[in-house]
Amino acid sequence: MRQARLLVCAWALAGVGASGATLADLDRYEAALAKNADDLRAGSEYRQAVIQLKQYDRCIKFFEELVAKSPQAANAYLNYGFAYVDKIPDAGAITQVILANTALSHFSKSIELRPSWIALYTRGNSYLYWPKIFGKAPLGVKDLEEAMKMQKQDKLRSYHVRAYISLGDGYWKMDDLEKARAVWQEGAKLFPNEPRLKDRLSRSGEELAKYIDETLDPNKRVDTNLHELWEDQ
Amino acid sequence: MSRRVLWIAAVVPALLLAWNGVAKIQFEEIAGPAGVQMTHTTRHFKGKSADVLRMFTSGGAAVAVGDFNNDGLDDLFVTDSDEGKHSKLYRNDGNWKFTEVGEAAGVAGGNDPLSIVADGLWFDYDNDGWQDLLVVRFGTPILYHNERNGKFKNVTAGSGFTKFGNSIAAVAFDYDRDGDLDVMLGHYFKAENLLDLKTPHVLPNDLDNAVNGGGVALWRNEGNGRFTDVTKEAGLAHHTGWTLDIGHGDFDNDGWQDFYLANDYGTDRIFFNNKNGTFRDTTEKSLGFDTKKGMNVDVADYDNDGFLDIYVTNITDEYMKECNMLWHNNGDGTFTDLSKETGTCPTLWGWAAKFGDFDNDGWQDIFVVNGLRSAGKENYIPVLVTMITTPGIDFTDVNNWPNIGNMTWSGYQRKKMFRNLGNQAFKEISAEAGVDNDLDGRGIGMADFDHDGLLDFYQTNADQKSLLYRGRTQGAGNWVQMKLIGTKSNRDAIGARVTLTAGGLTQIREVNGGNGYAGQSSLRLHFGVGRAAKLDAVEIQWPSGLTEQVNLSVNKIHYVQEGKGVVPAWGPKN
Repeated sequence: MRQARLLVCAWALAGVGASGATLADLDRYEAALAKNADDLRAGSEYRQAVIQLKQYDRCIKFFEELVAKSPQAANAYLNYGFAYVDKIPDAGAITQVILANTALSHFSKSIELRPSWIALYTRGNSYLYWPKIFGKAPLGVKDLEEAMKMQKQDKLRSYHVRAYISLGDGYWKMDDLEKARAVWQEGAKLFPNEPRLKDRLSRSGEELAKYIDETLDPNKRVDTNLHELWEDQ
Repeated sequence: MSRRVLWIAAVVPALLLAWNGVAKIQFEEIAGPAGVQMTHTTRHFKGKSADVLRMFTSGGAAVAVGDFNNDGLDDLFVTDSDEGKHSKLYRNDGNWKFTEVGEAAGVAGGNDPLSIVADGLWFDYDNDGWQDLLVVRFGTPILYHNERNGKFKNVTAGSGFTKFGNSIAAVAFDYDRDGDLDVMLGHYFKAENLLDLKTPHVLPNDLDNAVNGGGVALWRNEGNGRFTDVTKEAGLAHHTGWTLDIGHGDFDNDGWQDFYLANDYGTDRIFFNNKNGTFRDTTEKSLGFDTKKGMNVDVADYDNDGFLDIYVTNITDEYMKECNMLWHNNGDGTFTDLSKETGTCPTLWGWAAKFGDFDNDGWQDIFVVNGLRSAGKENYIPVLVTMITTPGIDFTDVNNWPNIGNMTWSGYQRKKMFRNLGNQAFKEISAEAGVDNDLDGRGIGMADFDHDGLLDFYQTNADQKSLLYRGRTQGAGNWVQMKLIGTKSNRDAIGARVTLTAGGLTQIREVNGGNGYAGQSSLRLHFGVGRAAKLDAVEIQWPSGLTEQVNLSVNKIHYVQEGKGVVPAWGPKN
């Protein structure tokens, strides 16, 4: 986490409201990222503005050019992958698969450059969105176990709950309900008020399956806003 | 509002709901004993792209219900698709016995080395009172004239149907209200002969937004045995989607037929009739664009609000969650998809779906067939996704697609039957109804084959045996059926609308000319009326514009002729 924290610059959001993004905002973010491609926060906020404006293709093209110019910028690759994820809910079912697969390749590049908690968590969680038939859940679990190791060496942060949720989901997807419940319970001890853990632990069988399937529905927008990373420093 | 009215308003719906719980919908599969079990075979192609082309043309198992010999009993035309294979014409002899007469009648052919039979359509194109047959092909269609003696004459050469198309859907309706039936063909691939490929670039250019399909063709009946291609004049030439099905109906209650296109690999489209020989595409305003894999269109007023609604099947499986669309007609030119809210969303890899009141309670239920390919244990999806996610891959090139071999792709899927609960909700009942077979379904032809007042249906399956389900529901409601006979209007009365009031419920039906993927149902309209022992009002709006009221009794098949009212029935079962 320390790595990620160090890479978050103090670049201010400067006037982009929840629903007030403009094309001029995109210009400003792009200019900022051109100066520091590895700026995770600027990249995240840029993408949130992109989502508001549905400028997905512009965003993808921008990051494509950015990583070409800054091939060592791990966070640029991470945001590049997220740019594909952000487009998924607005795409058709088959295009979603193509976008998801491309996102994975950029997350992998980010991990290759710098295996941060956020990159491992992100790729691991992404694998879980793939239907069982593709056999990607073990890959997701592997990444999430790595992320879990990393966070256990850090102080407890609010966003660490995500790894408990996703790792449990990964075990569940591998039909290991016992391990799934164990990791959710471990998370619930640390985050007793977390509704997503309560929801999982209070369900079983078909009800749990339905709940997780709905959670991992590619038609629902995934929150890719990384603000928690800098809100809990 | 008086107390009495309030009481009625409170009690009548309650009684209707109570009726919903009375009859348990049940069917019995009897294709074998009835003599109509046929095993369909999809076309085998030659050359290195044979496997992929066969996979892409895995339709073609169709059924068309029609009374070709005017004995009052609905017969079955069932297609086959492999080279040299013969389609079947099953004559209904009554008492659940059918005799295959396809070759004797002269309608069995069509699967020549350069053409594939894909669908069939009964319609009386010359208004002589006898059902003619259009055999729809990847090729040119074949038009057979009914010679009234159990035989048909191939009249294609003089009909104008000489244009090649990869046709997979056909409906007949009188779009210009000139009193004869016109034909709309839905084309899947663009007009390249897949059996004599000149280019490998014949597959969809995009799997969610394809624009390189075959579109549709509208053929105007000139009234002299000839048809003219008026696609361009009607404003339909710009549509280049991968049409899989067409559903027509008067969606805006203006007396003119409109239509909906279910398109694979991209957005469906809806067209409203401009009443001057042209149509306007109102998709964006009426529905919004979609990226789904539209497979089927059926049209009915499922909620009895006086407007025709539309049911479209798509693909909803582990790897692709599209959801069907139950387009509720808002009555203002727009539709709202209520499939999730009504419980009619997930039917796996959907194909045909048909509305029908299976328990005669006054609310139309739905039957859906599904399943693409049931074969070996290995699954094609991971193989396919490897191709799909290859950067820069050209989907149009048939050589880029992996062979499927003996792999399964969305196979062994259980069929779905939804009982309409009458309150914008449906309940899935396929297992208890006895219709949850896991064959690779394609088409549904619905009719009351034995005149017992219960709907029956025939299910075709790709590369598998077909099924015939006999309605066996005990304690079903009362019913009435109407065979409408046009005089000034087209003889089949396609497009005629009946509004029936009984038991506190007003229902509408329109005679349709082949709605539903790979399946044409009976021209005879069927209404369930629950416990009502009499019909309060029956009004017919004929395509000619004539409106007629008739007095009909329940639990009977009636023949109604335009301008004459009820006329004597014909056929041995009346």
